[in-house]
Amino acid sequence: MMKVSGVLFLLSALYAVTSINAQSMFRGDPVHSGTYAGPAPRQFHRVKWKFPTGDRVVSSPVFKDNVIYFGGDDGNVYAVDAATGRQIWKRETNGPVPSTPAVADGTVYIGSYDGKFYAFNAQTGALKWKFSTDGERRFEAKGLHGLQPKNQTIADPFDIFLSSPVAANGSVYFGSGDGNVYALDAATGDLRWKFKTGDVVHASPALADGVLFVGSWDSYFYAIDAATGKEKWRFHGGEDPQIHNQVGFQSSPSVANGVVYTGCRDSHVYALDAATGKEKWNVFNDLSWVNSAPAVADGKVFFATSDSSLYHVVDAASGKSVVRQQGKAWMFSSPAVVGDVVFIGVLNGTLEARDAKTGDLLWDFKVDKSKQNDGWVLTSERKFNEPFLFRSNWREAPLVANDEQIRIGGIYSSPLIVNGVAYFGSTDGFLYALE
Amino acid sequence: MTRPAALMRLIAIVIVAAALKCRADDLVSGRWEGTAQIPHDELTVIVDLAQQNGVWVGSIIIPGFGVKGMPLTDITVQPPDVNFAVKGSLGIQLKLRLDANNKLAGNFDQAGNRAPTTLRKTGAPQVEYPRRNTPVAKELEGEWKGDYDMLGYTRHVSIKFVNHPDGATADFVIVGRKHNVLPVDLVTQEGDLVTVDSHETGFSFEGRLRNGKLTGAIRQLATETPLVLERAKS
Repeated sequence: MMKVSGVLFLLSALYAVTSINAQSMFRGDPVHSGTYAGPAPRQFHRVKWKFPTGDRVVSSPVFKDNVIYFGGDDGNVYAVDAATGRQIWKRETNGPVPSTPAVADGTVYIGSYDGKFYAFNAQTGALKWKFSTDGERRFEAKGLHGLQPKNQTIADPFDIFLSSPVAANGSVYFGSGDGNVYALDAATGDLRWKFKTGDVVHASPALADGVLFVGSWDSYFYAIDAATGKEKWRFHGGEDPQIHNQVGFQSSPSVANGVVYTGCRDSHVYALDAATGKEKWNVFNDLSWVNSAPAVADGKVFFATSDSSLYHVVDAASGKSVVRQQGKAWMFSSPAVVGDVVFIGVLNGTLEARDAKTGDLLWDFKVDKSKQNDGWVLTSERKFNEPFLFRSNWREAPLVANDEQIRIGGIYSSPLIVNGVAYFGSTDGFLYALE
Repeated sequence: MTRPAALMRLIAIVIVAAALKCRADDLVSGRWEGTAQIPHDELTVIVDLAQQNGVWVGSIIIPGFGVKGMPLTDITVQPPDVNFAVKGSLGIQLKLRLDANNKLAGNFDQAGNRAPTTLRKTGAPQVEYPRRNTPVAKELEGEWKGDYDMLGYTRHVSIKFVNHPDGATADFVIVGRKHNVLPVDLVTQEGDLVTVDSHETGFSFEGRLRNGKLTGAIRQLATETPLVLERAKS
């Protein structure tokens, strides 16, 4: 009896460690499974709390020791009591923080648009160290997305996230707008290595079996030795030399059972052999970006698309469609799988909870700002009112439209579920806790 | 009532009704300017309405939306009600009523959203009419085919011109991953330049006949790709 209870105690202790660790970085864990321990709220009861910031919240919340950590586009990094929504600390950086923190060994790691990468004391917010990259920037190209004039270099307004770090084995890894993937000593911030790609890296690297996997806007997806920073293989995604719309890995990968899954702006989801980079299968999404990071659970891959607004589940081994549900609006947020429920944010200001098996909508929550529908950004069906919104592709008009689109409270943030509470950020400037 | 008296009364009613209708038509015909009050914004709306051979015609201007002289459709004028629509991607409907102050007031509907709208007459109508198809040269009649590459795969294009008494029409088909029959709303030939427009899809072709080939470019919104069409083998 003692033996059995001892084993049970050990198992439960292990489970507790795993479940806590699985909430402390982007997509939960270093392999970016996007799966979280239950229970999952199958019904919406109430807003537990909402925490105001000074600007949009694109960052995804993470959880450690009853504290929620996230970045704000107001330039702050926040620590908030998970139970009450009261601020524990905030620390200012010199730029927006649309990156998701990683928390490990009492330290919060996060990057800012100021081009610096920060390590804060998780309890107090005190700065431990900061590291200077060669500077942040958004993906940019001439005539981007068909915007005019076509010889004008335009920064991509949809390159909205910064790379979120992954922390493991005494190192912290992240990508940068300077085109590098960095490995830093987690304790000191010293550079261990950097790996140069051909363009912006704003995806979050996944780490599995000593290999770091991440895509770049240079159209390549890379496998890098996490210890040495040497390239193991690269995979070539699609290119779009004309309008640079169907190129680049904005999606962060997920690794499971020796396979790397990643979305791509070339409108595919790819399954690649983690050892060789050889393509196992791909799913084409009718020219719609897949910016969302796939989640992998129960032999299935969960992802969402932008323009075609599809919520899609495919078989992890074959890529064959299992569930395909037409959503209302674009999705950049990544699905969180919690038992039999999948949560995802929608850019029309809605958090959706769907049945994991059928994809049917269980409940949704719409932020107030989206219900006001300023400037008729949305149709009455809560789709994007595209002809009304994107009425010109000349000069600054598309950027103004994009700003209007963002201001309605879009949920770019990927939801985090802890103890039956769903946490996520909105571009209305709030971090929400729903139960 | 005697039969002549009844007849006189009927004639009087018809005259009064006709006069009222003429007055109502006069009231509705004109340039109307005002705003639609959408949340956190105010749209300027300018509408021109007129009668042409007993049929209502009109066009609309919405500054800032790239809408200038777009034709009105489904116009019904049954005073005091004045209703019309603007087809195309915006898909606007206006349901208005002439009020006692000679203003047109009602609703501006778009994509299921509704905004209160009031328009005030500011002058005589300045209705714009859409461009019309022109005939194309005899040697262009028939089917032309060609290919272009985009995003790593080939699209097959076919354009078939047919002349009619009131201008040419064209069948415009692009086959890539899918078979796309594009709705064509304008076919013109000006000098030797031939243009086929599908405004709804954003595709257009323009080219010139050179050495038996129709040489030009296909355009999809802002992307222009060279394209040479050759006469299809029959």
